Amino acid sequence: MTLTLAMGATIVFAAVLAAALYRQWQRGRNLRRQLQAAARDLEHLQNACARLAPAGVVQSLVADGIQPDAGPTAERKLATALFVDLVGFTAMSERLEPEILLRIINGYYQCVSEAIDEHRGHVGSFVGDGIVAYFGAIQPNPWQCDDAVHAALAIRASIRAYSAELAREGLPPIAVGIGIDRGPGLAGLLGSHARREYAFIGRSVNLAARLQALTRVHGVDILVSEALRTELDPGFILTPMPPVAVKGFVEPVVTYAVEGRSAHAEIAAGPRSPVRSSRDVFP
Amino acid sequence: MPSALEHVAWETCLVDPQPDRALEAYARRKTGIPVRSIRYFTPVPWLARALIDLHPEYGLLMHLDQNIADLLTLIVSRENSCRFCYAAQRALLWGQGMSEAHIQRLEQELSAGLAPRTAAAIAFGRTQSRGGPATARNACEALRGAGFGEDEMKEIAFTVAATDFSNRAHTIPAIPARPLERMPDQFLPRLLRPIINRIIERHRSRGQSAPLKRAPSHPYARLIERYAGSPIASALGQTIEEMWASPHLTRRCKLLIFAVIARGLGCEACALEIRKAMGAEGLNEPTLACILTHLDAPELDEIERLLVRFARETIWFDPAALQRRARSLRDRLSVPQLIEVIGVTSLANGLCRMDAMVMGHS
Repeated sequence: MTLTLAMGATIVFAAVLAAALYRQWQRGRNLRRQLQAAARDLEHLQNACARLAPAGVVQSLVADGIQPDAGPTAERKLATALFVDLVGFTAMSERLEPEILLRIINGYYQCVSEAIDEHRGHVGSFVGDGIVAYFGAIQPNPWQCDDAVHAALAIRASIRAYSAELAREGLPPIAVGIGIDRGPGLAGLLGSHARREYAFIGRSVNLAARLQALTRVHGVDILVSEALRTELDPGFILTPMPPVAVKGFVEPVVTYAVEGRSAHAEIAAGPRSPVRSSRDVFP
Repeated sequence: MPSALEHVAWETCLVDPQPDRALEAYARRKTGIPVRSIRYFTPVPWLARALIDLHPEYGLLMHLDQNIADLLTLIVSRENSCRFCYAAQRALLWGQGMSEAHIQRLEQELSAGLAPRTAAAIAFGRTQSRGGPATARNACEALRGAGFGEDEMKEIAFTVAATDFSNRAHTIPAIPARPLERMPDQFLPRLLRPIINRIIERHRSRGQSAPLKRAPSHPYARLIERYAGSPIASALGQTIEEMWASPHLTRRCKLLIFAVIARGLGCEACALEIRKAMGAEGLNEPTLACILTHLDAPELDEIERLLVRFARETIWFDPAALQRRARSLRDRLSVPQLIEVIGVTSLANGLCRMDAMVMGHS
């Protein structure tokens, strides 16, 4: 009798223990699943955020966090700013239905963004129909000037193809103006405690925007500054433009229109960068 | 256990695996486990060997805590978005007995709950990979502040460099990462985990002091000398000697690749070494300056012109974009040439970063 009771108690105890262990295992498994789901959500969020800011910046934020009361996290850099704007956008926006306009402008954003990515730049922001891009603002890039002009030429080609596509559909063609300058500035997360964005600020961004506006004055589509010209590969074909007074700048601004790229660097038209010694190349 | 890098776009593999019994046996002897990935590199033996010989897990570190080195490898691989190396390191940690939960915690909140020394080492690894030598200067000072000695710091520099090298060597040809990513979820590896653990433990070894057999004469000789007495010096010296001796690319072409990467990283110490070696190859200063400023010059031959441009792509990269650019080289180069390019660019990236920190020019 006692033995039966003891065996019964043991069986009941074992069953209770097994049930408890099973529940614990189930809880652990659920927790693991939740953890995995949270990790997946975090990855998705990170991927989504990568569309809003450079991937490296998003990774830093996720990994390091950002203190709400922290000061500016920008650092001094030498970078190249490229400013693109759609020619005649205001008139177009008055003529077209908003849905068609949205389609056209999204296609334009896509053309420009792809060309900039392809040439190692990154899109800083979309300002209406204007796009600001930077080269060398995130990681050091000694070839930033050549990259920016290559990107501008790629934008020209891509917009021409897109414009032809629009024309085939009976939509108005588009054209762009591009200004490029290089200079020192502050790069990093800028903004208020509540809202920040990755940006590069400095004189070169302002001048790039002004040069973009000057493309209408000179009747060309890509203009670069004198500072940028001195760093450029001589293989680019440049045409000097007459100096023009520009708002915010004391001296008239000297600019060069970019015609294209010569197949033979040695016979490239336009002024050439001086060849320096490698002691200058490695600062 | 999904890997944190599974979302990273990864192209199909650029090269075909080619079995080589001797090299595979060499890798198995050293690591204890079959290293199938080595088959992708066998046409260029120095690279296949270097991927094993420069792994910080096997007999190279004398001063740095091995756990810190393991974490550094994981973090740098993540920073470089190398799905293969990240999965391999994760599998290694898992094989050593680290729980899945612990690995995931490490991935998700790396900076939290770590000892100050570990946190400083990780911060250095991340900064070096993300911003290069110039931005790693403060992180380097933080290492000293966290109490790391000179020998430990040199081993940290080596661990980060070796991982940068391995990351690029596996990322450029898009070595398949899926089998390694899936390993911890598969029945057989889970069943054999204790045995795997034992094998890994048996082959994992600390470095023994080893004199430098002969003075290095090539570029980076001064860097090797700084590691004199450490097994790192011999392993690195031998890899560099074999790389220069390998016949698939000319010495001048390799030097140009090194020069472009040094320029991209702003490494003055490397530039000095390479400038001296370039002189012996008949490239004068103005020509070199022109190449480094615009990645082109009339004196370059077709392959050199192609490769100096490719070299800069390996400094900072998005894996899929880099893999697509590497694919475009495939039609212009033989398979051994392509693999040698992968090896030289990868090694140059590691060495330049290491040199900048160790020689104090960061």
